[in-house]
Amino acid sequence: MEFEKIWQSVLGEMEVQVSRANFATWLKNSRLVDNRDGVFFIALPNNFAKEWVENKYHKNILGIVRTIDPSVKKIEFMVDGHLVGGIKKSPTKEIASKLENQIGLEFRVDPTTNLNPKYTLASFVVGPSNELSFAAAEAIVQEVGTKYNPFFIYGGVGLGKTHLLQGIGNEIVAHYGGKVRPRYVSSEKFTSDIVWAIRNKRMEDIKKKYRDVDVLIIDDIQFIGGKEKTEEEFFHTFNALYENNKQIIISSDRPPQSIPTLEERLRSRFEGGLITDVGYPEYEMRVAIIRKKLQEMNRALSDQVVDIIAKKVKKNVRELEGIVNKVVFYQDKKGVDVSDRIATEIVDSSIQNFSRHINDTQVIKAVAEFFSMEMIDLVGRSRKKEVVEPRQIAMYLLRDILGVSYPSIGEKFGRDHTTAIHSYEKVNREINKNASLNQKMILIKSLINKS
Amino acid sequence: MKLILIKSHIKDALVSLQRSWGENTNLPILKNILITTSDEGVLLTTTNLEIATQVFIPGKVIQSGSATTSFTVFSSLISNLHSERLNIDAKNNNIEVKTDNYSATLQGLPSADFPLIPKIKNNNIYIEIKGALLREGLNQTTTATQFSDIRPELASILFDFSLEKITLAATDSFRLAEKIIPNTHFTSLFKDGFRALIPLKTAHEVARIISDQDPVKIYKDEHQILFTTKNISLISRLTEGTFPDYSSVIPQKYTVETVIKKDEFLDALKVTSALGGKAGEVRIQISPEQKAVHVRSSDQAIGENTYTIHAEIKGKGVEVGFNSHYLIEGIKAVESPDVSFVVNQEENKALIRGKGNQSYLYVVASLLKA
Repeated sequence: MEFEKIWQSVLGEMEVQVSRANFATWLKNSRLVDNRDGVFFIALPNNFAKEWVENKYHKNILGIVRTIDPSVKKIEFMVDGHLVGGIKKSPTKEIASKLENQIGLEFRVDPTTNLNPKYTLASFVVGPSNELSFAAAEAIVQEVGTKYNPFFIYGGVGLGKTHLLQGIGNEIVAHYGGKVRPRYVSSEKFTSDIVWAIRNKRMEDIKKKYRDVDVLIIDDIQFIGGKEKTEEEFFHTFNALYENNKQIIISSDRPPQSIPTLEERLRSRFEGGLITDVGYPEYEMRVAIIRKKLQEMNRALSDQVVDIIAKKVKKNVRELEGIVNKVVFYQDKKGVDVSDRIATEIVDSSIQNFSRHINDTQVIKAVAEFFSMEMIDLVGRSRKKEVVEPRQIAMYLLRDILGVSYPSIGEKFGRDHTTAIHSYEKVNREINKNASLNQKMILIKSLINKS
Repeated sequence: MKLILIKSHIKDALVSLQRSWGENTNLPILKNILITTSDEGVLLTTTNLEIATQVFIPGKVIQSGSATTSFTVFSSLISNLHSERLNIDAKNNNIEVKTDNYSATLQGLPSADFPLIPKIKNNNIYIEIKGALLREGLNQTTTATQFSDIRPELASILFDFSLEKITLAATDSFRLAEKIIPNTHFTSLFKDGFRALIPLKTAHEVARIISDQDPVKIYKDEHQILFTTKNISLISRLTEGTFPDYSSVIPQKYTVETVIKKDEFLDALKVTSALGGKAGEVRIQISPEQKAVHVRSSDQAIGENTYTIHAEIKGKGVEVGFNSHYLIEGIKAVESPDVSFVVNQEENKALIRGKGNQSYLYVVASLLKA
């Protein structure tokens, strides 16, 4: 019989003989580790337990063990700190060395660059929607300050701008050692530094701080729009760096020409370098991101679950990661693999649900507005190409967002329910293949939510 | 069990015992104190299954035996009584406490249910060291770490014994403290060196209860460590795990070295940290030209201030930011009146030592400069 089974039956009997409190405190986390020449070795979580069991339960245990295995002569007790709480708590060598590294890291954090070492270009998932930006980033690391200067990245929330920016910085640090000094700063921090300097009359310090770098990385530049003194200081800093062939990297949530509060002279400077955008990830890329994330967390999810998450969460990488975290957490907690049904539930409860506030007219109106046409055209009889696509999208959205039945969709557009089914299925098929359609869909949805 | 005890003895003993009883829903008896008679007096015991403390007090034993009762009740009763002599009588799990004008009956639990206190295997091999020295060493190192469930080996004090010296060290990964006690200050019967991780709580407890004059004997086996003095013995489990190799953290080179009066440095830090914001950030500017150290802090919402100290300076001028609390704790732990404050700018660290005293060192990482 295996040790575990023997010990289970011994514990079963002991549980009847001693009080519940005593059993839980002293015996619960014990284990039978070895049987050598009729000597049973029993491991207990601490010395208190060992002392107690050895003195009080020795005879009882020996008696029970003998009924199972008559050849046993003796029982030896020992302490195994790993048994604390039933879980293996003490770090193995591997983890210990990892912790040592961590210590080194925390001591080594470089305050001058302000970069977070967790963002690297290697961990950036590249796909059609961001490959241009990524290629530019790699080129900049190779030729700092000369090739694409300034480099301007724009894109929506949670698509990886900050990751790319910090990744460039970290890559430069790794590539050139201390020779090229990058500095990463959020525009909010930049503004507050300027404010501080004005208040404390230490403008010179700030000028020096920002001009004495080789690569200046500014995140979320749109926030400095409208803050005149900050814009002015940034303008001068920009010029000073640019003239000396220092690399400038900027990110924003929209292209420079669409930041209304930005001064003309700054805008034109931004437009002088390379501008790339980071778009919404396609289905394949979302799958890749989920897989990467799982790999980082050292976890696994079934292909179907990954598929469900990737299909349902389209907009935001951060949201995607959040949902993966949630699913993995659920899996860890329950200790079973997540089924398709549960995954769908988790995803649905996580992504925002606006349908309560909107009605079908708003949806059709938003679609019409997006394609700049009249609502009449959408529900009309025309079968011109430019009307057909919006009409199908409108049908799809009615079904997707509001869950309207096919016959009633058909009725609204003066058509048969089979047309509605066809439209829905066509768009649903296309949406995962066609990035621009997906992009449109997201923009329309945001229009709907705004109305 | 029947005893006559002197109140002040019990009171002192209870102070030593007060932190080692425990709340445990499975085992309510851990809230109790165990009173056992011996030939020469009485042994009082509390334990929380991590630490067990036993204190011996002299007393007159009329009838031997043992009993347990709630520690909190017993202790508040003792501290509020004025009579010097207490008659203690145990009958069927209950304890009767009687003085000339007071009597109480306290409910107890059977003493047979009280956990047995583990013993150390080799009980004739030990290190003997003066109480004051051990306490100081523990206090100097415990200051550099804090409780943590995530990394128990960091919430512990490294007790590294070799035949030449005892090294005590602690770190919470932002700072590091190390104390070396050379073998001229202790005697040892151990043949080989060993490394043990003493849980932070145990270290605090040992530092609290040992007295300055009494020598302390330290026993150790694979999983536990025992500290004994004349009357007290404290046994504790050891933390499992490996203490990180910290030698690379101690800076070998320095950018600038200064020697500052300890009290003045502490004053400067305490005053300036008032404006240091939530993180208590202070900036230390060392300028060799002026032979001065400027301690300054500023907060956008409050204001700014500067404290200038004259000091001996060797090296280049630098300006670095630190968490003032970390600095204060390190400087307080230094024994000498003058502190040697060394900055290594490349590694962004400061090394604090007593001037002319190499036994203690404290390393603190500088704050992020945004």
